[in-house]
Amino acid sequence: MMRRMEEAQARNKLRDWILKHAKTPPGPAFSDQTPLLEGGILSSLDIVEFVLFIESLRGEDVDVDDIDPRVFTSIDTLHAAFFAPA
Amino acid sequence: MTPSRRTVRAGFLASAERFPERPALQLGDDQLSYRELGALAASLAATLDAHAPAGEPALTVVFGHRSVAAYAGVLGALFRGHGYVPLNPAFPTDRTRAMLQRSRCRSLVVDRHGERQLDEVLLGADRPLLLLLPEHDDVRDIAARFPAHRVLGRADLLAATHWRAGDVDPDAVAYLLFTSGSTGQPKGVMVAHRNVVAFVDAMVERYAVRETDRFSQTFDLTFDLSAFDMFVCWERGACLCAPTQAEKMLPARYVAERGITVWFSVPSTAVLMSRLRVLKPGKFPGLRLALFCGEALPAEMARKWSEAAPNAVLENLYGPTELTIACTLYRWDGDRSPAECELGVVPIGDPYPGMQVLVADEHLREVAVGEAGELLMTGPQLTLGYFEDPERTAAAFVRPPGRDEIYYRTGDRVRRPGPGKPLVYLGRVDNQIKIQGYRVELGEVEAVLREEAGVDVAIAVGWPVTASGADGIVGFLGADHADAAGVRDRVIARLPPYMHPSELRLMPSFPLNANGKVDRKALLAILAEGAA
Repeated sequence: MMRRMEEAQARNKLRDWILKHAKTPPGPAFSDQTPLLEGGILSSLDIVEFVLFIESLRGEDVDVDDIDPRVFTSIDTLHAAFFAPA
Repeated sequence: MTPSRRTVRAGFLASAERFPERPALQLGDDQLSYRELGALAASLAATLDAHAPAGEPALTVVFGHRSVAAYAGVLGALFRGHGYVPLNPAFPTDRTRAMLQRSRCRSLVVDRHGERQLDEVLLGADRPLLLLLPEHDDVRDIAARFPAHRVLGRADLLAATHWRAGDVDPDAVAYLLFTSGSTGQPKGVMVAHRNVVAFVDAMVERYAVRETDRFSQTFDLTFDLSAFDMFVCWERGACLCAPTQAEKMLPARYVAERGITVWFSVPSTAVLMSRLRVLKPGKFPGLRLALFCGEALPAEMARKWSEAAPNAVLENLYGPTELTIACTLYRWDGDRSPAECELGVVPIGDPYPGMQVLVADEHLREVAVGEAGELLMTGPQLTLGYFEDPERTAAAFVRPPGRDEIYYRTGDRVRRPGPGKPLVYLGRVDNQIKIQGYRVELGEVEAVLREEAGVDVAIAVGWPVTASGADGIVGFLGADHADAAGVRDRVIARLPPYMHPSELRLMPSFPLNANGKVDRKALLAILAEGAA
């Protein structure tokens, strides 16, 4: 059963994880719209840990086959894909 | 037999003549035909010919990443008769600047990603350069930033019809590729046209590559395995499918959506797919070839992959850059192979056509079948050595006692279990490891750690250890107090991401082995204890 999380809380947790694991540290202007892939902030090397992290927040598995890779574009798109009410 | 006079560009040119409207390159949703990509490359070549400052070395830097400009830049350099030197804008600019200066290149093809870093990369450039920016229409602002150099945009490029294919020596450098060096200085491996042609010829014949094939392109251009993707694919008119950054996140989906028929990656990518639970039986029915290289291939991964791609031939390739992309191979067979695996990894098999193997002891004398030794190889794929570095070339390219040929010392320990049995990989002789398929000299990381921490001793170890190398690096600083976080920040700024230490530990004294050397195994034991 998926856990519901407050929007602000989910965004904060995503932001914290990304800041901790960023290969290229984002600058001070880092926001929920900052491109994560183009800027090298998130890379394919992070994907497994990141998906596991999202699963831990949601409390249920993510079916990777169903994910459109563009969801990794920004915190906004991540939130919309994984945490926004259907 | 007369050696071939062909050079690397010949394959693309023949395909462009035979299949002008077939796709040569797919980048995300954008597609370029052989005619279109060839025209851009010819246009770059003509412009290089007309405007590049004269003089040796005949090299052009390609400063770009997964862009039309980068691929056209590779071809443009080759059309012109230059070797290409790939540099990645995603890597730290200090390192890129050092490589640019060491290569002494006078011309660069730059994409949008690279353009953003030019101010830092060209800092201190001591000679006038030609900068070609084929993705930029208006380069006046950029030209104003670099008055010492000549900057040309798309509108300034000469028409493709101006390009004349001059003679290229098959012994000339086709690409110069910087690899990790143990002294902290990357080494520039010079790969000749004849090396690449020998490799490509062997591959297209073995795999019966055809124009309907669609090749994956998982490797960065600075990784020599990308040369397989490009040149084997273009030799026979197939399509190179470069994934976008988003597609790279989910490679299984990319295989399906792009209709990939030839897959080539490091085993780590397969491990990643497995951990994401997408490596399911029958997942990739359209694949006809699945090739792995760059690090040890775990047997379990080969088994899972062959179930996921039931119609594909799966092969494990092995080879250092100095022997041109790959020089031994092993075909996986679900019935026979499990018994031939050692230490849980797939054998590296047997040499390519014309390549010769020598398994030797520390005196470079052949060991008996069944004994472990260092792998040395020679043959048509033996490269020219290290760029302007005769000392390191002489140390690595050697003539073993009683042999006429020069062999390359791979630094890899292997064993042939019995007569006619495939070679098995046992690990590194020296201190070089594979992280996510990238070859890393831990000595290079240690050199940067020492400099940034101001300590006499710094040790880097691959951690956590995996069947194919390591997932990352942990650094130990010989100090009882230091600003580890600050050191790490400075180290990260100087090294590419796959060389970043995930953690730095302070070590007032190091454990030593019987030879008085730092005992790396003891350091790994400390990490293992902490993880338990």
